[in-house]
Amino acid sequence: MRHITWTATVLLLLSSLCYPQDTTSTDPETIRQLVQQVNDLQERVKLLESQKKEFQQKESQQNHAGASTPTPPDPLAPPVESADQTASAPTVAQETRQVHGIQWRGFGEVDYKALNRRAPELGTYGFVPGSQANFYSGDFGLFLTSRLTDKASVLSEIVFEEADAQSYRLDLRRLLLKYDYNDHLKMSFGRYQTNIGYYNWAFRSAAWLQTTADRPLVMEFATNGGLLPTQAIGVSLTGSVPSGKLGLNYVAEYGSSDTVRPDLTGDRKVTDENNGNQVNVGFFLRPDPIPGLQIGASYYHDKISDFVQGPSLRYGQTIVNGYIVYVAHGIEFLNEGFLIRDAALHFSNAVFNTPAFYSQISKQFGHIRPFFRYQYVNASSNNLIYDDVGLRYGPSFGARYDLNEYVAFKAQLDHNVRRDEPDLNGLQLQLAFTF
Amino acid sequence: MRTKTLLIRLVFCLTSLVCIRVAAAQANDVAVVVNDHNSVTKMSKAELRKIFAGEERSWAAGVPIRVFVRAPGTHERGALLKLLGMTENEYKQYWTSQVFRGEARAEPSTLPSNGMQREALAAFPGAVALVSIEDVKPGMKVLRVEGRMPGEAGYALN
Repeated sequence: MRHITWTATVLLLLSSLCYPQDTTSTDPETIRQLVQQVNDLQERVKLLESQKKEFQQKESQQNHAGASTPTPPDPLAPPVESADQTASAPTVAQETRQVHGIQWRGFGEVDYKALNRRAPELGTYGFVPGSQANFYSGDFGLFLTSRLTDKASVLSEIVFEEADAQSYRLDLRRLLLKYDYNDHLKMSFGRYQTNIGYYNWAFRSAAWLQTTADRPLVMEFATNGGLLPTQAIGVSLTGSVPSGKLGLNYVAEYGSSDTVRPDLTGDRKVTDENNGNQVNVGFFLRPDPIPGLQIGASYYHDKISDFVQGPSLRYGQTIVNGYIVYVAHGIEFLNEGFLIRDAALHFSNAVFNTPAFYSQISKQFGHIRPFFRYQYVNASSNNLIYDDVGLRYGPSFGARYDLNEYVAFKAQLDHNVRRDEPDLNGLQLQLAFTF
Repeated sequence: MRTKTLLIRLVFCLTSLVCIRVAAAQANDVAVVVNDHNSVTKMSKAELRKIFAGEERSWAAGVPIRVFVRAPGTHERGALLKLLGMTENEYKQYWTSQVFRGEARAEPSTLPSNGMQREALAAFPGAVALVSIEDVKPGMKVLRVEGRMPGEAGYALN
């Protein structure tokens, strides 16, 4: 008997020690989540009350009009209609971003940039020549989507971009009619951002989505002096290929672009590439065993010309890209390499190879995400298309601090080594937001 | 004799401990539930992750997948974040990015109760949701994950 009592006591003690305790704690995060839940429920009640009022108003109107007495709802009927209403109304936050079936979202940024040289560089928006430090507002984007059917939708991205003298130019960055036949075939028609590499696909044109304050030079938009044809009008196909745990996906694009890129030197010269029709094909893998890992490659081909030399001098432009990216568990590790090959098609056999790469690593610690990036671009001085670019390389480091779900503050220091030019050091501060 | 008795007691205590642990884990299991008419009966954890990350958007029969999730702070939400390997903040940023990339039309619908999830499952043929094992009700079709049903030892989602 004594033994049984002893065993029972030990068991009871051990059970109370090892049984998982209620995870409810009073830490600020839990309180915040509970408050959020209460707010959500309050909003939900408001929504239901307003629906009830509308219903009552309609009912009284019908009664006044002498309409027949409405049939009271059958309490035993299956709740299919109410389920439909509930389920098609997602969260209140989502509802407030939806007007007449059009979902919208906005992105913006306010920046301050200081350089240790007075010679201006493009890619800095409203940077004033002669000044070493300026505020500017970068891109302000409105993103609209609308579902047409279960498989078809429209997507548009309208960007107001700061130009010289605090003027703003309007750019329809994306306008796409999308049709997702299934996971293996998703079609888009219209103006798209080319899927050359990972960065253009992942971050599009919203500074808020990026960790760093700016894009790597090779991935910068052509209108800001970037090297790649970042946009085109045409057709884009993507989808997954049955490949088991390999997670193989493909990308195929055919379209027309007309890249006009200003010289980085700020001499107000532009290079109009007068592109032909471009072909871009690529693939990427998302292997199941390592969630967050993406490995991809793409091949792009087009015919372009240097406007200064005359449109008759055509180059065959080939861009080969490869990347390895890991984004999971708060870690972001991006590595991309490019080889841009411009081969003269007429009058000469000149071939110019421009290699470029960037590597970026960051890790989230609570609200703060420190980052480091190294980038490299090497264009031949004889390359008439990229004669303003030359050799540029150097590190950037800084941190992103998420003030809340919608606003992020970034601070970034850059060191840029340039061929035949003094080194360029810069400080960038940015408030990036979404709404 | 005394040593033998002590040994038996120790083995008994340890076995009880393990049983209690397993029972507690099973009570925390989260079921993957779909519309009753969905022909799918099982899936791997990797497939589940792809569906809740919006990487797979249609069932094998071609029916578009509609993902429903619970609000932050709930047990189901915790299991979802664990499955995706994300924090709440990362989850929100991820979906903002997905929508902006054009990879998703909207963030998955967040419903404030499992009752609402049940109604959504009944209303949408392509619906899928995560529901705590104690809230699984008739009309919800529970899928096997990695060959195991919730409540079975070694179930992957809790």
